[in-house]
Amino acid sequence: MLADVTFGQYYEANSFVHKMDARVKLILLVLYIVLIFVVKNFYGFLVVLAFLFIATLFSKVPILELLKSIKGVVFIVILTFVLNIFFYRADDAKVIFWFITDKALIFSCFMALRIITLVLGSMLLNLTTTPVALTDGIESLLKPLKYIKFPVHELALVMSIALRFIPILMSEADRIIMAQKARGADFESGNIFKRAKAMIPILIPLLISAFRRAEELGDAMDSRCYSSSAVRTKYRVMRLGWRDLLGALFACVCFAGIIILNIYGGVVS
Amino acid sequence: MQIISKDLTFAYNKKAEFNRQALNGVDLVIEEGDVFGIIGHTGSGKSTFIQHLNGLIKTQSGTLKVGSYDLSSGVKNKANVLKQLRSEVGMVFQYPEYQLFAETVYEDVAFGVRNFFPSYTSEQVDEAVQNALNQVGLDYNEIKNKSPFELSGGQKRRVAIAGVLVTKPKVLVLDEPVAGLDPQGKKQLMKLILNLKQNSVKTVVIVSHDLDEVTENCNKVAVFYNGKVVMCDTPKNIFNNVKELESYKLGLPITAKCTQELKKLGVEIDTNYKASDFVENIVRAYKNK
Ligand SMILES: Nc1ncnc2c1ncn2[C@@H]1O[C@H](COP(=O)(O)OP(=O)(O)OP(=O)(O)O)[C@@H](O)[C@H]1O
Ligand SMILES: [Mg+2]
Repeated sequence: MLADVTFGQYYEANSFVHKMDARVKLILLVLYIVLIFVVKNFYGFLVVLAFLFIATLFSKVPILELLKSIKGVVFIVILTFVLNIFFYRADDAKVIFWFITDKALIFSCFMALRIITLVLGSMLLNLTTTPVALTDGIESLLKPLKYIKFPVHELALVMSIALRFIPILMSEADRIIMAQKARGADFESGNIFKRAKAMIPILIPLLISAFRRAEELGDAMDSRCYSSSAVRTKYRVMRLGWRDLLGALFACVCFAGIIILNIYGGVVS
Repeated sequence: MQIISKDLTFAYNKKAEFNRQALNGVDLVIEEGDVFGIIGHTGSGKSTFIQHLNGLIKTQSGTLKVGSYDLSSGVKNKANVLKQLRSEVGMVFQYPEYQLFAETVYEDVAFGVRNFFPSYTSEQVDEAVQNALNQVGLDYNEIKNKSPFELSGGQKRRVAIAGVLVTKPKVLVLDEPVAGLDPQGKKQLMKLILNLKQNSVKTVVIVSHDLDEVTENCNKVAVFYNGKVVMCDTPKNIFNNVKELESYKLGLPITAKCTQELKKLGVEIDTNYKASDFVENIVRAYKNK
């Protein structure tokens, strides 16, 4: 039941994108997101989509698998679209239908497209990078912050523990749901308040078990004398390779293209 | 209620590539009045099977009849029918103490009654809760206002079982009911479960890894292996079949082991492997020798 939730879902494959270094992918994703919000015209978006498409091809992730991730944000996309249509105001806009102006329509389409490409891009990273590699990558990228006393290692540890426990808590939730259903619990009928109340018999046992697990893990780490300040080596050493160079080069060409189009392609919205 | 399952199959994650068949055609008949044991090595599909019995898992293929309820694949049961079924087939999951949630023991035990019989008056709920707690050997007045989280492990488990018994189920299904308890607690709880048969519970189905427990208490045993029922007989006949059991990655109860060893020494004993009269059997066999 809960197994359908796509979170940190790694798609096992042996591809160019999979083999790229998590740090490079993370940096590229950040650049990509910035650019999505800088794009001013449809030509730019064509490049964004082309980039996404080619990256997906080289990741061997089925396009349908990637598109599934949109399901979760459909509501937000529609809401953004509708709100923008209502509230976008521009001086020289022409009304094309009822009160909707051409500018508002174009702007709303842009916003919707932005959210969709944003989700698709982040999802591609999630699908091609294991959670472990991701946290390792984030830790490595944040390292410079250590100099301003930011607890980088602790943060990475918290993240990797959280990631590790999500599937466990998920299957635990499944079990508890089953057990309460066997006692006649009903999660599907009634109004929203009734349904919220019906969640209590699940959430409380789940919380208790999460605390118990946290305590046990803490004890286990203590009894092994775990210290976050200890200097430790990594089992998997991250190294940059030719794929990272090639991938980054390709992305940079695309991104440069977008910027050039932004300057010379005119403003559509 | 008689339970008949024919060619029941089930796979978790049907869509995923690593789809694995958890049930591979289960044929099984559980008669009313049975204390039915289900054994099998880990991952053989025992838990998956029993979750079918009250419709928690929807049948993917095959037929399954529980009393007058038809849970076969393709049969659409309405939500209220399923609810009624669940009130009649009580299901105690493994480590049921992890499902406790309410502020007081009373509220937790009453959860089932309130869900299944919303029309009950508060006196009726009181009575049902009192009954259920008594049946698991807990003192109603002493415990009803306690928080379930301040009880001992064994007490918690009893409260959780009471929470299932409270609807007076006709069939009680238990997944590893005594796992993780001390030997004394195990014995007591097992005795309690068997005592239930004097009340409204007619049929008891027990999933267990403890072969001694199963031999002692069940009148019939089914062996699961790779999602199939490979043996189904009285404990005596099952544990006579040492070779076959080994091929299903199962050992023997201690009494059967003793019988084996004695046989090697030339002492044949006729026993149903129940520990209660096992010693007498041995003594008798020696005397006759
Ligand atoms: N929620 C689930 N999702 C996916 N696969 C599952 C799930 N639950 C069980 N399985 C798989 O189904 C098979 C049967 O599992 P099941 O829990 O029925 O075994 P079992 O006989 O109860 O084992 P145990 O004695 O360890 O409790 C196993 O291979 C298991 O990995
Ligand atoms: Mg099990």
